[in-house]
Amino acid sequence: MPRITIVLLILAVIVTVSSVPSAGTTQPVGLEPQGSPAADECLAILVNRSNPVENLSFAELRKVFLGEQNHWSDGRRITVVMLESGKPERQAVLTVIYRMEDKDFNAYFLHHVFTGDIHAAPTTLATPTEVLKFVSNVQGAIGYVRTTAADETLKVVRVDSVLPCDKDYSIHMHPKSAK
Amino acid sequence: MMYSTLPQIVVLFAMKLIGRMRGRLMFPLLLAMVMTTPVLYAQQFAAPSDLNQQTSQLLLRRIDQLEGRVTELEAALAKTATAAPSPAPSQAAPPPQPETGPQAQPAESQGMDLNKTLLRIRGFSDITFHGNDHIHDSPTCQAYTCFPSSFTIGQVNLFVTSDLSERFKFLSEIVFESDEFNNFGVDLERMLLQYSQSDYLNIAVGRFHTAIGYYNTAYHHSTWFQTTTGRPFLFEFEDKGGPLPIHNVGLSISGRIPSGGVGLHYVVEVGNGRASRSYVPPLGQSATAVQNYVDENAHKAFNVALFARPDRIRGLQVGFSAYRDVLQPGVPSRIGETILAAHAVFIGSDFEWLNEALVIRHTPQGGRMFNTPGWYTQISKRFGSYRPYFRYQYMNAADSEPVYPDIGLRAGPSVGVRYDPTDFVALKLQYDYTILRAQQAINGLALQAGFTF
Repeated sequence: MPRITIVLLILAVIVTVSSVPSAGTTQPVGLEPQGSPAADECLAILVNRSNPVENLSFAELRKVFLGEQNHWSDGRRITVVMLESGKPERQAVLTVIYRMEDKDFNAYFLHHVFTGDIHAAPTTLATPTEVLKFVSNVQGAIGYVRTTAADETLKVVRVDSVLPCDKDYSIHMHPKSAK
Repeated sequence: MMYSTLPQIVVLFAMKLIGRMRGRLMFPLLLAMVMTTPVLYAQQFAAPSDLNQQTSQLLLRRIDQLEGRVTELEAALAKTATAAPSPAPSQAAPPPQPETGPQAQPAESQGMDLNKTLLRIRGFSDITFHGNDHIHDSPTCQAYTCFPSSFTIGQVNLFVTSDLSERFKFLSEIVFESDEFNNFGVDLERMLLQYSQSDYLNIAVGRFHTAIGYYNTAYHHSTWFQTTTGRPFLFEFEDKGGPLPIHNVGLSISGRIPSGGVGLHYVVEVGNGRASRSYVPPLGQSATAVQNYVDENAHKAFNVALFARPDRIRGLQVGFSAYRDVLQPGVPSRIGETILAAHAVFIGSDFEWLNEALVIRHTPQGGRMFNTPGWYTQISKRFGSYRPYFRYQYMNAADSEPVYPDIGLRAGPSVGVRYDPTDFVALKLQYDYTILRAQQAINGLALQAGFTF
């Protein structure tokens, strides 16, 4: 009888452990948007709702993110918001817009802030939620999140007159090559 | 890793427990455990999947927003509680929309929070071991080559910026450095109050690097940014024997010029200019070339620069500048100084090519005119963490030049390699060959560790 008990106990433990998802693959159910895969693959460029800008050409967008354009058309200073290193959205923006690696990005802003060409380096935030909150609070801010994470509190900017995920939209999560 | 050891611990613990219990009770209990365990987990993980996930996401965001709102209101409440007399509730209720994030500048309408520092500080420095084959006790030995091989602590530069408001910004470089007598001193190399109206109009007052050519405004007091171990001699600092008015104290206006893809920019500067190199201060006093406090004459130095950064060739910058000042090494002697400079540089992520040429014209009152030409070219390409480079520089001042009696001819190549073991440390090895007039050429070697912190 004790042997059977032990065997059953071991079986119970094995079943228990196999039922628990492994740490690396845990999905926070209910936290991730379940939009269409295509929508999840696009990055929306966001500005504060009070910002008059509706559309930016890709060249203008690049200048804004590079700090070559420091002011919006209404004179307000631009504050670029980046997600922290390691985030796939940041990697996509570095590839498509900056055309730089993280190391070059750091060196670029260190240098240009040092020369005085650029007022300040981009503000770095940890999560898309923080990006949404920041851009909704800061009138001159511009940031990016996956299209599925964008909400109505912010304005989605057209890039080359194209909305995210429409045909010819250029800012995707997994770009094949920089534009 | 976590789950690989957990079963073993659980089994051991259970076996000990079993040993203390009687079998009759244990069997039904364990059977019940085996039967119910998967069911419990199924309940735990299956239940949320039935929820509308988008709804829960919205709810979570809403909670977050409300939490943020509560925090803002609490902060506003704390502010009004400490203020005396407290304002009317209607004024305190809606918190003003912040202009920027927590680490950025406050809104112009907001007062300065005295409990927070508004300073951003970054440091730069380097340590160099260098030597050359110059005969150091030779009577012709010039100051900049007269040292035996030495370890040298470079400039320790504290780069400090502060956003005073959305349009006003403070910028400074506080540099600690040793001189050739091994004495440390502190210099305020840059100190600017900047006002930014738009991309087309930026105004700065204070001490700045004169926009002569490219190098002087692209590289300031940090070797870490530079590819090479040091600046080209043309752009060497005044206190290191450099020929140009590197620093100026006054007013600078700069910005873009509406020019489409051509990317035109302008710079207009007016300031005290540089004191005459030949000026000898009264006995027992020292003088610096940068006129921080008082100009040696009423004539102000003017500088105008124009350059283009075309969209089509990113990294390319082409431009020129014209600088005009009057030096007054003695009364009533006056020397007109005109510096014309042109540059064409390309800075890519891997490849860079810098080319600059200038001519310095000195016209003593009632005397002959002296033209001193100078130029350099520098090319480098990055291979991973390594960046080999080559530079050739040239400057040729007449022996009778009234302002540069000590420069003469300086020309020659430099070759080296920069290695970046991390993002913030650069190791450089450089060999210099310098040709001098009527003297033996100098071979020099430098090993430098530059870093930012």
